[in-house]
Amino acid sequence: MKKFLLILLLILIVCFSGEVIPQVLPAGIPRHETYIVDQIFRYSVTQNFNIWTPGAGPTPVRHGLMSDTLWYIDQQTGKWINSLAKEPPKYNKDFTEMTVNLRNNIYWSDGVMFTADDLIFTIQTIMQTPGMVWNAELNKYVKSVEKISNFSVKFVLKEPNPRFHYYFTVRWNGVYMMPKHVWEKVKEPMKFTFWPPVSLGAYIVKDADPQGYWELYERREDWQRTSVGIITKKPGPKYILQIFYGPIEKRVAAMISHNLDVLMDLDIEAFKALLQRNPYARSWYKDFPWAWPDELDSRIFGLNNEKFPFNIKDVRWALALALDIVELNTKYVGGVSKVNPIPQPPVPFLMKYYHKPLKSWLRSFKLEIDKGVYFKPFDDTVPQKIAEWAKKQGYDIKGEPEDIWGIGWWKYAPDIAEKLLLKHGFKRDKDGKWLLPDGKPWKFSIVVAPDELDAFRLAMGAVDQWKKFGIDVTLESLERDPYYTKVQIGDYAVSSSWSDACSACAANVTIDKWQYIQGLHSRYYAPSGERSLTGNSLRIKDKKVDEIIDKLSSISPNDPKALELGREFMKVWVENMYGIITHGFKKFITVDTYYWTNYPSAENPYSQPNYWFMGGRFTFPHLESTGRK
Amino acid sequence: MENLFKYAIIRIFQTLIVIFVGLTIVFFAPRLTPMDPVQSTIMRAYSLSGIDPSAVKSLVETLKDLYGLKGTIWEQYINFWKRLFKGDLGPSLSMFPTPVIEIIGKALPWTIGLLFITTLIAWFLGIVLGTFVGYFPDKKISRFISIIITCIYPVPYYIIALILIFLFAYIFPIFPLMGGAGIGVKPTLNLDFISSVIKHGFLPAISLIIGTLCFIFMTQRALTSTLISSDFISFVEIAGIPRRKILLYLIRNSMLPQITDLTLFLGSIFGGALMTEIVFSYPGIGQILYTSILQSDYNLMMGISIFSVLGVAIAALILDLIYPLLDPRIRIK
Repeated sequence: MKKFLLILLLILIVCFSGEVIPQVLPAGIPRHETYIVDQIFRYSVTQNFNIWTPGAGPTPVRHGLMSDTLWYIDQQTGKWINSLAKEPPKYNKDFTEMTVNLRNNIYWSDGVMFTADDLIFTIQTIMQTPGMVWNAELNKYVKSVEKISNFSVKFVLKEPNPRFHYYFTVRWNGVYMMPKHVWEKVKEPMKFTFWPPVSLGAYIVKDADPQGYWELYERREDWQRTSVGIITKKPGPKYILQIFYGPIEKRVAAMISHNLDVLMDLDIEAFKALLQRNPYARSWYKDFPWAWPDELDSRIFGLNNEKFPFNIKDVRWALALALDIVELNTKYVGGVSKVNPIPQPPVPFLMKYYHKPLKSWLRSFKLEIDKGVYFKPFDDTVPQKIAEWAKKQGYDIKGEPEDIWGIGWWKYAPDIAEKLLLKHGFKRDKDGKWLLPDGKPWKFSIVVAPDELDAFRLAMGAVDQWKKFGIDVTLESLERDPYYTKVQIGDYAVSSSWSDACSACAANVTIDKWQYIQGLHSRYYAPSGERSLTGNSLRIKDKKVDEIIDKLSSISPNDPKALELGREFMKVWVENMYGIITHGFKKFITVDTYYWTNYPSAENPYSQPNYWFMGGRFTFPHLESTGRK
Repeated sequence: MENLFKYAIIRIFQTLIVIFVGLTIVFFAPRLTPMDPVQSTIMRAYSLSGIDPSAVKSLVETLKDLYGLKGTIWEQYINFWKRLFKGDLGPSLSMFPTPVIEIIGKALPWTIGLLFITTLIAWFLGIVLGTFVGYFPDKKISRFISIIITCIYPVPYYIIALILIFLFAYIFPIFPLMGGAGIGVKPTLNLDFISSVIKHGFLPAISLIIGTLCFIFMTQRALTSTLISSDFISFVEIAGIPRRKILLYLIRNSMLPQITDLTLFLGSIFGGALMTEIVFSYPGIGQILYTSILQSDYNLMMGISIFSVLGVAIAALILDLIYPLLDPRIRIK
């Protein structure tokens, strides 16, 4: 009897292990017509689609499915997309007026046409409602907004602004349009829940969990009357279910059992475990290095430029040269990220205008170690070294190392780092540990948020390497919000960050850099103790940076000088090493191709794969059913 | 009787002081940290879209005004009590303008339902098993139960929870991976909803029962082991009283500390079960409290804490008042 039970148990284990048990969907919602996406987090606020109020309605995924704005830039291809507008913005000569010509064939989900009235109403409502997202910006720039015709609007600006259209041009989002016919009856816009919402996207909300774990969307029958339908001419899945399964292990379990079709990110160990159990799963690359490398942000060891000794340029450079980027990349992030020496995401479009053209300058750039003694820190063989490591692991490398791992990074030169420190009065004690010029041991901690996986791992690597160099470094791990607080008020020495600490780490797929570096201007400088909310937690204060930003502000983003000034900024950054940029941003955006196929990939990079951004709306329509039921 | 009445009045008064002090601490503590709900909102709302730096100052002032954070801390404190006496917990700051009471109202029933039932079941089973094993330590079944519980007790809750998920939601996919009820199942008193809630709540409930049961079992076994050497037990054994009745005597005499534990457990359920909610993706107040702390949502923190403080304080009060009923040896002087 015991043997029989044991055999039965083993049979059950074999039969049910990873068995395809369909997600229990509501009646009438077939699995093969439903695309299940990772919601990323549990929504605290549910059944509230007032995404104009900060903190009210959460926006990932749903803003792409339900909302719309004038223009998008696809983050993978760099392609400009005219969405609600039928063409790019038109400015007058001095950039004090912007004319927008809208499409005349777009409808809200309740059948009402989208017109200039909606755009004007949206702008006026936001401007008149303190606290609404973009209220402050629109009030700063907009003098008036006038209707020229049912599909044409003119913005009159209070001051010249050649970049005013950025507020309506999506990287993450843009000014969301409100349906005038619904909102004009609302007495208190900040308290209105806009539930159930009227959609301008290709989907409507069919149902939503009051506890915030899922939302179910249904494709509109008139999907061709949306910008997504007009541009892609494809319907996409009939239903999209966004669901939050919980910790990574459960998302992996869900994908193994084909109950999740796409998820935002995993750590490399979980990804490899998933690949072993689900032959239909893949990420951007089918094989190594798998992950999508082109998110528009960068990893940085943020240095507090206000605090001693990080206020000394040579000390910052010493810390950079004491890092072995090949080891950081291979041992701590699995060799799947691009190294990056400049504050510009190393994505194909930007590499074409910034990284590759700057290579010759980087190669010839010199650091003065001592009077008349120079050192060239740039190492353009870093990608090849990582490629060698990858080959030793048995990985098959497809493509050029520079395209996979970036253009290069700084040399691992602890001897030069030592000279730079000695130059400023640092000493080593009898154990080889570094002492500050006043004789005290040099100690600091790296503050990091543990849920930002790569930042955390890179911080661990930096602790190991700087300790080996002789500095007493520890790791201080903080939950996201307390981490932001500490970094923003400058209560840190070194952080392992991204654009949260330095806006210049992020970018849009544009040559113009103004949008992401303007916060570094000294007019917005917040000394330590005060919050820096303009992306200058590094406390950079440099007249050269101010000059570049001022010059950029005065020219059109399409002016050829914008590129020159952008490159100038990169050079100033490198010379001063305000923060140690290490890598681009990679994500293991993982898809299960059991039910659905044709998600963007390295072989077919037709659109951005980061579905939770507003531009993800243009990706969903391309999905194709495999026919499995 | 007069003594009891006087005692009750004094205890009620003490309870009110405890509640007042508790809520005052909850009011001031977050405001003394560097965390700021306005900055937290701006960070979350603008982290990806980027805020115009020149707009930051005016946005900060606007949000302070909207959130009722203008004025001195004492003015805010007085306003807090004024609103509280009207039953208004204010809007959540991180989920503005959703009222705090609405957020709590959605989440608390799940927490109370899960924790109340599991606490009672675990408590009851722990008492029964602990008494049995304590009185019959040499039986095979007693030894078996002791070994199992001794092995499980030191295992961290998170590991037990994960094992349950992997066994019964993945390897044998009997139970769902997440949620309090099925997708699309409406919260109504019908069989569909009730069976869905039971199915979704089963694994979280088992994980909580295991943890609490082990603790209650250990304490009850220890109490029983102490009691069996008492004179009155020797007497009833000699008198030939059936074993079943002796077990009941043992339970009755060990009830005081266990009732104390039960009452305090039940009082503390308003704090939620954070780990359970995270691991099982189960709705409840724990995650909301955790998020409110991280996002410096003063109003939501205070709203949940009010229930928590009230729960524990009232539980302690009830306990003090019912002690004489449970144990005739206790009298109020």
